[in-house]
Amino acid sequence: MPSALEAGTRHPLFGLLLTLGAYRLALWWQRRSGWCIAQPVLTGTLLVVAALYATGLEYDHYRQTSGPLWLLLGPATVALAVPLYLNLGRIRRRLWPLLITIGVGATANVLLVVLLASRLGAETPLLIALAPKSVTSPIAISLAEGLGGSAALAAVFVMLTGVAGALLAPLLLRMARVESPAARGVALGLNAHAVGTSQALQESREAGGFAALAMSLTGAITALLLPLGGPWLLGRLSGAG
Amino acid sequence: MTGLLWILLYQWFGTLLSQLCLPLPGPIVGMLLLLGHLQVRGEIDASLDKTASCLLHHLPLLLIPPAVGIMTQLEAFLTHGGAILAALLGSLLIGLPLTGGLLQWLMGRRH
Repeated sequence: MPSALEAGTRHPLFGLLLTLGAYRLALWWQRRSGWCIAQPVLTGTLLVVAALYATGLEYDHYRQTSGPLWLLLGPATVALAVPLYLNLGRIRRRLWPLLITIGVGATANVLLVVLLASRLGAETPLLIALAPKSVTSPIAISLAEGLGGSAALAAVFVMLTGVAGALLAPLLLRMARVESPAARGVALGLNAHAVGTSQALQESREAGGFAALAMSLTGAITALLLPLGGPWLLGRLSGAG
Repeated sequence: MTGLLWILLYQWFGTLLSQLCLPLPGPIVGMLLLLGHLQVRGEIDASLDKTASCLLHHLPLLLIPPAVGIMTQLEAFLTHGGAILAALLGSLLIGLPLTGGLLQWLMGRRH
């Protein structure tokens, strides 16, 4: 006869239940602490991983029993078109400066992280997961998977970048004498996606609006360029190494 | 309901196009198709707005299961931990001042 714990963890919805519980706790801690590092994705993931280790469950079992959540990730990615459309409507006046900055920034982010990591000895699978690190998670996950990399690593790198970017931005932007709220917002949204956007919103509404716009556009531009340029870049790096 | 129907329809169509002829991932093609649809219509209907906000509001929840997969990648993560952190931090150290400074300069020139 199985023990009560075993019966409970073998339930076909165990993973869903565990994730919802961990998310609830993570949200509570984020509100209570108010810390930028208390991102629900990071704390929620740590809680789920700890629970799986404690109960000795395999990742595959968790993956199967959290199935309903996986099904919604695709529709959530498609839904990003709505904020992207709203943001595009607002930029007509400063179209060119914004498009140039975001185009340059999105390209520089991919090149910088891939070249640095490759220099430091990281191999192709890791480079693929690092490449979309500045892009909002659902897009980054799709892109990493599309290039044959790990969705899990991509998701974790995106969150690490978001938190580090939001923490470092005030200091770095002050040192570079970036004072205009539009420029600060764009730098935050472009480099640190959603975490940066919430940081920008704390600075001012204008900075927050520009951060949301930069996050949407960076996602769209990277989604278009990385599947085309990525294989070429990775091919050159592995050929040279 | 209509909002969810549109979203699923574009995801399905995006995946189809991605498998047949496009190098982009299916959900991303779906997102671009929905963006085109909104540009043509010139407005967002209430049902689509509601469905999209609901999905995006709970995005962190949907991202936990993929991130938990780090369990199976722990070895790659730990062996290259130093390189990963250095590359992530290095690109932020350059990227943040570069983009903020570039936009401020481009906008300043127009006044």
